[in-house]
Amino acid sequence: MFEVYVGTVVVALIGIYCMVWKKNMIKKVIGLGVFTNSIHLLLIAIGFRAEGIPPIVTLGNINYFALRAVDPLPQALVLTSIVIQLSVTALALGIVTLAYRHLKTLDTDRMNKLRG
Amino acid sequence: MVFAFGGWSPPFGIVWVLDKLNVFLALLVTGVSSIIAVYSTKYIKERKHRYYTLLCLLTIGLLGVSLTGDIFNLYVFFEILSVSSYALVAFFLDEGAIEGAFKYLIVGSITSLFILLGIAMLYGLAGTLNFADLALRVSITPAYMVALGMLVAGFSLKAAIVPFHAWKPDAIEGTPAPIGAIFTAISTAVGVYGILRVLFIFNLIQLNWVLILFGVITMLVGAGLALVQVNVKRMLAYSGISQIGYVIMVIGFGTLLGLTSGLYHILNNALIKTLLFMGVGVGIYLTGKENLNEMGMKSTPLLICVGIGLLSLSGIPPLNGFVSKWLIFMASWEVSPLLTVIAIVASAITLAYSFKIFSSMFLATKRIEVKIPRTLLVPVIILTVLCVLIGVFPQIGLNLVEPAANALLDQSQYITAVMGG
Repeated sequence: MFEVYVGTVVVALIGIYCMVWKKNMIKKVIGLGVFTNSIHLLLIAIGFRAEGIPPIVTLGNINYFALRAVDPLPQALVLTSIVIQLSVTALALGIVTLAYRHLKTLDTDRMNKLRG
Repeated sequence: MVFAFGGWSPPFGIVWVLDKLNVFLALLVTGVSSIIAVYSTKYIKERKHRYYTLLCLLTIGLLGVSLTGDIFNLYVFFEILSVSSYALVAFFLDEGAIEGAFKYLIVGSITSLFILLGIAMLYGLAGTLNFADLALRVSITPAYMVALGMLVAGFSLKAAIVPFHAWKPDAIEGTPAPIGAIFTAISTAVGVYGILRVLFIFNLIQLNWVLILFGVITMLVGAGLALVQVNVKRMLAYSGISQIGYVIMVIGFGTLLGLTSGLYHILNNALIKTLLFMGVGVGIYLTGKENLNEMGMKSTPLLICVGIGLLSLSGIPPLNGFVSKWLIFMASWEVSPLLTVIAIVASAITLAYSFKIFSSMFLATKRIEVKIPRTLLVPVIILTVLCVLIGVFPQIGLNLVEPAANALLDQSQYITAVMGG
């Protein structure tokens, strides 16, 4: 289990690095996707159970079910979150397209009209 | 009042909770957005259908965040709110708007993901997502504190507290003025609500020097930066940042008076900022300029309304800004007189930039004769009347705010209401 958590942190750091230091707008959006997926990985890892069974109650032994079934909630959360990520990415790419039409480049250093 | 979706009882299903604090915030959201919806019918000249779709989505997001009793549900509504905000920032599609939107999108997405990370950690540690159930299970351990830190950092970016404020003036410069009003008036209020709710879950509403420090820095930096702006929307955006600084500072006191004054200031800030953005928006609509030096105009009703708004913003006695600022001064005097002095200094800077807006709009040498459409003027007048009314009868606002502050301090009542004893 420990390896999964370490992997999550590594993927998250790659995503943050990509979002913060890369100058290309598309790469920033890719970094956003990587960071989001690292959190999804963490959520799935929280719900993981070795040799688990699907969380569907059948007529079998309920104690066995409680002992072995994986937690379905994180998977539901991740599904919701994936849908949200899809919409954010679509909007981000739309904005990048519009920015490219104005600036004729994807370099964020050229985005210097406004200063904090 | 608790509403359980699909009949699932609270710890298992999604619940919406209406306690005194949520009522206050929901009223604020609905009130301000309905006034803005009326105002926008005239202000937005083209692509109205898209504008109103996005505005409704934004309102749904704000209302959802303020009403939900489930932390993942809060994240979902927070994302609805954020996505519609990004789209609204980019609404005019010109270069500045797109740049502001892209910056806001990158920063805002990182924020939302930190909130999601905090929620994931909380779920991993406590095994529940319901606010009341979480409140029963959390404890003050390092792992929980990391989750708390992620959530508070995420919400403070939405509230635009100073280290995380840079997106806000950029975003507001490109938006239509009424959306600027929503951003400074209620998006920040929802951000502060998020901080309050998370602290409430952890039962950590107490004297907190970190919040006080951030509040003081926000107050001074926001006011100082507002003074040097030439674009009127940026100036108002920085002014909004500075006003939120007061709120964060008094929340850090953790006393009943502190919370009351903070929530009261959120209410007054929402009214004043909406009034000012709309009043200045009339100027932008008629002159087409946003630069302070080019906005001179002759109009008596607008002069009175914006003048009252600016006086109220800087805390001149018979108006509502004075009431909450007086309460803030009293609350800070209890903790440390030095903080009162700093708050008064920030208030003086507020007066300075308020006068700058007023003089460049109405006392400029080159002024144009204008005729204001009624649809734009009536919402401004309504808000002016509200400002004066709350200033003369402070009890109206206090009746709304004091129960909310009490609800924040009493965790057990909330838990009993949701979990059913």
